[in-house]
Amino acid sequence: MPAEAVRMEGIVKRFPGVVANAGIDFSLHWGEVHGLLGENGAGKTVLMSILYGLYQPNQGRIFFRGKETKIRSPHVAIQLGIGMVHQHFMLVPRLTVLENMAVGWEPRIGPLLDRRAMRRRIESLISDYGLEVDPDARVEELSVGEQQRVEILKALYRGAEVLILDEPTAVLVEQEVEALFSTVRALKEQGKAVVFITHKLHEALEICDRITVLRRGKNVGTLPASEATEERLAEMMVGREVVFTVTPEPVSSQGQVLLSVEGLQARDDRGVPAVRGVSFEVYDHEILGIAGVQGNGQKELVEAIAGLRQPTGGRVRVGERELTGQSPSKLAAQGLVHIPEDRHLRGLILTFSVEENAVLGRHRQPRFAVGPWAQRRRAIRIYAQELVERFSVSVPSLSAPVRTLSGGNQQRLILARELSRDPQVIVAVQPTRGLDVGGMEFVWEQFLEARRNGAGILLVSMDLDEVMMLADRIAVMYQGEIVAVVRRGEATKRELGLLMLRGKGAVD
Amino acid sequence: MEILSFNLFISALRLATPIALVALGETYSERAGVINVGVEGMALAGALTTAVVAYFTGWPWLALIAAIGVGALLGALHAVWSVYLRADHVVSGAAINLLVLGFALFLTRVIWGWRGTSPSAPTMNAWILVGVGLFLIGLSQVYIFRTPWGLRLRVVGEHPRAADTAGINVYRTRLAYTVLNGALCGLAGAFLFNNLGRFTDGMVGGRGFIGIAAMVVGNYRPLPALAAAYLFGFVDALQMRLQDYIPSQFSLMLPYFLTVIVLAGFLGKAQVPKALGKPYVKEQG
Repeated sequence: MPAEAVRMEGIVKRFPGVVANAGIDFSLHWGEVHGLLGENGAGKTVLMSILYGLYQPNQGRIFFRGKETKIRSPHVAIQLGIGMVHQHFMLVPRLTVLENMAVGWEPRIGPLLDRRAMRRRIESLISDYGLEVDPDARVEELSVGEQQRVEILKALYRGAEVLILDEPTAVLVEQEVEALFSTVRALKEQGKAVVFITHKLHEALEICDRITVLRRGKNVGTLPASEATEERLAEMMVGREVVFTVTPEPVSSQGQVLLSVEGLQARDDRGVPAVRGVSFEVYDHEILGIAGVQGNGQKELVEAIAGLRQPTGGRVRVGERELTGQSPSKLAAQGLVHIPEDRHLRGLILTFSVEENAVLGRHRQPRFAVGPWAQRRRAIRIYAQELVERFSVSVPSLSAPVRTLSGGNQQRLILARELSRDPQVIVAVQPTRGLDVGGMEFVWEQFLEARRNGAGILLVSMDLDEVMMLADRIAVMYQGEIVAVVRRGEATKRELGLLMLRGKGAVD
Repeated sequence: MEILSFNLFISALRLATPIALVALGETYSERAGVINVGVEGMALAGALTTAVVAYFTGWPWLALIAAIGVGALLGALHAVWSVYLRADHVVSGAAINLLVLGFALFLTRVIWGWRGTSPSAPTMNAWILVGVGLFLIGLSQVYIFRTPWGLRLRVVGEHPRAADTAGINVYRTRLAYTVLNGALCGLAGAFLFNNLGRFTDGMVGGRGFIGIAAMVVGNYRPLPALAAAYLFGFVDALQMRLQDYIPSQFSLMLPYFLTVIVLAGFLGKAQVPKALGKPYVKEQG
């Protein structure tokens, strides 16, 4: 029987209107990687936030190293040796890696920060765990994967023996995931205990020793990974059989170009060219997937097409009309809609109500407004009610602020709003990011439905599985250029991964 | 040319001192995330306190300490309003400016029977305060960028939640540096009194706001802010000499005019602390 690092008994955590944890037992051993699996809202993050001292449980007890312990704040947790890497990093972008790691636990010479001692500490951690990163780089200059490494290093520097990783792979690409897994294995070999929160089954099976499945705030069961299968875990997660994939049925395109992009160029926020002459067409009844490692110009490309960023060269045509650099409302009038990557920043106004968000972008149309000053409240309400029903968005009420909706329902509302315009062209970026299995399936079905009805879809995603499953053609973007376009089934995951990482040089 | 004499550069340093002290104080509080537009009032309170204490006791040193203390108290008041009660930082600062101005008019009338001015009172050599200011600015440059406490200060203003998980008390840090800002404004006020030898209600004359401008131009760094303050001081000294040549109504405009021009150029470029002006709420539960 391996020694127990943490034991949580009967943890109950209530938030206004929700029971996030309804009496959960959980135990964690030294030297194991313990997967915490569940759909969004199952209570995984809340349970671990309680262990990390961010929340206080309403009921229940926590034992650390066999002793009952009250963890009143993250600082207490860190002092006990519990570290957590959040989905949203706790890093100051403007400070260096070294400064971010040191704060709160600074080595000193006299009154000064001892940078040399700190650098030595970081370098020894880097060589112990293979987490390559430059201590003197500013965090804002690092990729998301590197920032995650800094977070792990920071936790280790602070003496973490128990490390909680909250959806660590959500922000990573294939090859970075491999690097993360080898780090996790190194941690395990050192005898540390790792909690790996995820909703991706194959990851849990690959990296974990034991897996605990949560559903609706309850522990459905804990089992050794060797005894688990994807089907079994999925059933535990959702309480029903789920389809993991959707299969796009073959449809024949009429060969009509709906969106054409020609030699498009755009600069990023710092003024550096990020899109360097991109050309492609999206046909009717087609999904064109854009695969690529984050930060290779996808964001700027989409913004330049969607009218959110002024292109510095090239042309964008929707159907027959040239609409380069036109405003989003003009583009929408021509049948181009945008499902943005950042739901909270671009897709919704969180403090506005469901009904207000449902007509956003169309709020000036005569159907919903009388002149520039008055809204047709009733028409808006009826319309919102219709959308909510048709797309089964579950909402507390139509006048509730959108921020009270779960991520999946927020995304449903955006899809409902945009797809109900019967668009010719849909530009979607990471449309299933952060959604649970049910939510993903819904989004995919909607896209396939739109495709069946003749729309052209530009799908930008970092999830290669998603792109490979849905797209009729896949364009790989690397350093601001399209380096390859392949038809469905023409390239393996590995080949695409190499193209994403190294560009054209990959295929010799 | 006679205007550009050695004396000009010396008096520019003198005129720059209150601006630089305010800029330093504001650098501290804004680095911690607290906007303080009450600097104008805090400096005025410092000057008034110096006048009153020096007048009654005849001890300029005691007056100096009292001025710093009163500035610190006003800083604490601002921190309670903006950090703990989460009032809008600008509103709280503006309230302090009005409060002090009204109180100055009241107190000068009660004590001396004059509206907004004092008779002359014993002073100390203002050059001592110039020296103190320069020393504090140099020290702060090291403190903010080379010490553990400076690092913590910077993290509190950029990412208070990260600071909190590192065991840093965000509220107390903000309180401490806002108090320090008040104290430095009090010191600036004390300088103004000792420079002139008596109190008038208009003696701060926008130098608090110019100090904030100097901080922005210096990009939240003490030494560059000093350089900016010196530029403002220089133009102020220059305009006094220009009064012999052009109407004073125009020359008096110069420092303020320069502020507007320079700010227009720098405002978008300064690296404003991310959490500036945003109240910190601990995670609930």
